[in-house]
Amino acid sequence: MALLELADLTRRFGGLVAVDSVTMQVEPGEVRAVIGPNGAGKSTLFHLVTGVLKPTAGEVRFAGERLTGLPSHRICQRGVSRTFQITALFPEMTARENTQLAAQARHPQRWRPLGGGPVFGTAARYGDAALERLGLMPIADRPAGLLSHGDQRLLEVAMALAQRPRLLLLDEPTQGLSVEETAQAVATLAGLLSDGDLTVLLVEHDMEVVFRLAHKITVLHRGAVIADGPPEMVRADVGVQAAYLGGFA
Amino acid sequence: MGGVGTLHRGTRPCPPAFDPLRGPIPQAEGEESQHPIALMDFLGFLITQCLNALSQAALLFFLGVGLTLIFGIMRIVNFAHGAFFMLGAYVGYTAVHLTGSFWAALVFAPVAVGLVGAAFELGILRRLYRRDGSAFLMVTFGLTLILGEAIRLVWGVAALEVPSPQSLSGIVFILDEPFPVYRLFLAGAGVVVALAIWQFLERTRLGLLIRATSQNAEMVHALGTDVRLVRSAVFGIGCGLAGIGGVFAAPLVTASLGMAPNAVIDTFVIVIIGGMGSFPGSLIGALLVAFVQVFGTYYFPDLAMAFMYLIMLAVLVVRPGGLLGKEA
Amino acid sequence: MPGWRALLLIAVLLAAAPFGLPLYAMTLLTEALILGLFAMSLDLMVGYTRLYSFGHAAAYGLGAYAAGNLLLHTGLPLVFAVLLAALFSGVVAIGVAWVCTLATGVSFSMLTLAFAQLLYAIAFKWTAVTGASDGLAGIPRSPGPFGITIFGSKTGFYYLVLALLIAAYLFCRALVNSPFGAVLRGIRENEPKTQALGFNTRRYKIAVVAIAYALGGLAGALYAPFAGFTNTELLFWLFSGQVLIMVIVGGAGTLVGPILGAAFFLLVQQYLSSYTDSWALFFGAIFIGFVLFAPQGIWGLARRALQPRSGNAV
Repeated sequence: MALLELADLTRRFGGLVAVDSVTMQVEPGEVRAVIGPNGAGKSTLFHLVTGVLKPTAGEVRFAGERLTGLPSHRICQRGVSRTFQITALFPEMTARENTQLAAQARHPQRWRPLGGGPVFGTAARYGDAALERLGLMPIADRPAGLLSHGDQRLLEVAMALAQRPRLLLLDEPTQGLSVEETAQAVATLAGLLSDGDLTVLLVEHDMEVVFRLAHKITVLHRGAVIADGPPEMVRADVGVQAAYLGGFA
Repeated sequence: MGGVGTLHRGTRPCPPAFDPLRGPIPQAEGEESQHPIALMDFLGFLITQCLNALSQAALLFFLGVGLTLIFGIMRIVNFAHGAFFMLGAYVGYTAVHLTGSFWAALVFAPVAVGLVGAAFELGILRRLYRRDGSAFLMVTFGLTLILGEAIRLVWGVAALEVPSPQSLSGIVFILDEPFPVYRLFLAGAGVVVALAIWQFLERTRLGLLIRATSQNAEMVHALGTDVRLVRSAVFGIGCGLAGIGGVFAAPLVTASLGMAPNAVIDTFVIVIIGGMGSFPGSLIGALLVAFVQVFGTYYFPDLAMAFMYLIMLAVLVVRPGGLLGKEA
Repeated sequence: MPGWRALLLIAVLLAAAPFGLPLYAMTLLTEALILGLFAMSLDLMVGYTRLYSFGHAAAYGLGAYAAGNLLLHTGLPLVFAVLLAALFSGVVAIGVAWVCTLATGVSFSMLTLAFAQLLYAIAFKWTAVTGASDGLAGIPRSPGPFGITIFGSKTGFYYLVLALLIAAYLFCRALVNSPFGAVLRGIRENEPKTQALGFNTRRYKIAVVAIAYALGGLAGALYAPFAGFTNTELLFWLFSGQVLIMVIVGGAGTLVGPILGAAFFLLVQQYLSSYTDSWALFFGAIFIGFVLFAPQGIWGLARRALQPRSGNAV
């Protein structure tokens, strides 16, 4: 059974159709990239899956259960974690504290007003493990606001990972990175994903990154799916080429 | 000396027996509000209450347009706006007593208040443009406190009566309903000022600069205008508008220390309804709030204060996040 | 965070105060502790969660009037009345917080102010409960359970206030260091991200406001028997402003800072008011000065002066 199922998912803003009847399935363990020209609806799709926006029509199903209409924090508790296109961290907390808070969010006693040793202990373990997997332990005690941009992007991924999600949504993880930083990030992510225990939905602009990391690619254009399949197939697809070369920027 | 209650100094603030911005509503003849049987009676009632609401709207508009102007240019919510309104009322009081002329006060007070505002922008606000929004909130709040205490010092704690000018104190009869001339004047003044501001924004150079700066400050700067001057001017004008509102309001509600917080709450609600930074919006907001207040207070007189709260609630439910929920 | 030894020393000094200080100084000190409690309660909102309240006097007033009524009209012992009044304040706050957290930012602050104004207006009208502009007078320090009357004396009452302040401080300390406190810090630094991580931030905000009101109400409830009277000044907007100043000038987000701020405020008021009537004005100016030039407050300045240069931010 597919882990994530989108069925005719649609979102309209007045007259504009941002996401148009998108149907797709993501299998457990799969790394699925969603690509498309600017304005194709990729971020909106993420917002729909994570509950930030409500769909105008259609359904989101996660491990067989309906996600549509749930508030975003509930969806997160079901095991869907995401990163953001524009870096969102806690700048005055250390990297370690960032991942620890992220991990705490999934602890059943995350709200404890007194004591909390066990909560912090577990959260620290998962937080540190995530930092480890992303190679961020050397800067664990530095304030997040003072990290390099590349490390910040990776820290965001670490935070999502610290939540031990069943589905990980990465929104343009290499956004704003230099060529070297991108290469580093991709190597780290490739290592991370090669463990095979994560299901990932990835939005990216950088085609190199996509072809390096993704098992399957879904192409959006003007909110609708125009191609869906393994990288080689998508690469050769005429319609995709037209969209990128002939479509609006 | 030290002692119990030193903090509160045992002073008696003036009771908000009637809300500073609402003022007394002209009572119809007779004790209870008898259901007007004749159509003419009802029409008379309706018209006078509408005029009442219009005069109220005028006051609210003076406040709202100033706040929205300041926000449009500087992207800050001037928490001290209510305090400037209050200052206008008190300065107006003194001006009337010194010169014996209400009209002189009407000219002098807003100018004085505007200058205070501009000075504040120059001295304090300028330093904060790089900081985050909460600094503005704190600082304008601090100014409110300073102005509040300054007014308490200079004018004392008791509410001050400001007489309306002789020519305007009287009653007219509209369809047999009595209505204060002053309120008619106020409604008219509101229309005049609204038109004047509109023309100012549309036709004058400064108005053009203001509109341009609210849309793209950097561009205006690149084109050679000192945006900082525009900002100071706008802040001064906005505060001056609040001040003139205070002078207009004074004969109706008396000048008192409780004016500031109520005024700023009212103003904030108006501007949220109409949209932060929107001149026509402040007009609409003022009208809406005034009508709801006037008719609401007529039918439920004891709930006057609660009404403001309820309006705020309603607004925030429809547009949650208030300011931040500004959608296209 | 101040070392345990320093705090213990201060606690001991405060406990010894009645033996060294003259009576009028003790009265001042008691008031300072009450205000300190009030300011600390606001710090939970302002310093730890970035929820700026312009109407915290509402908490104080709720507590004061509740305690006043309980002590005047029931035979409830002082301690119980005070605690009950604090609880009352906290419960009312849940409703208030539910409304105010419908909004964020400036709108939130406006709503807190509006509520305080509403309470102020009600206090003037509801003569039966509040005594209108005259307020309540002759509030007794009712004898405690088992007939103990030590709290009736100045010294006894002082120790009650001190004990409650210390207890409240320890509670707040534990709270901000708990998982709940960690979420508050997240909300302070980046609320959308905290939500995205899966926290229902609105609930946490409602909770912290309720706790802040309960503690603020405790301060007000202590003031009623301390002064022997309550009046509408306790709900006046200038008072809300003054406590906010205490927090910022003292040092927001430190718990200790606001207590210092309250003491500083009272001291300066005592000192200045013998020279000039416009001391409150100076305070507003001091406040703006701190916001501009020393946003970390007195406590922040003191910490930086005392700590050697180190790499990490605290």
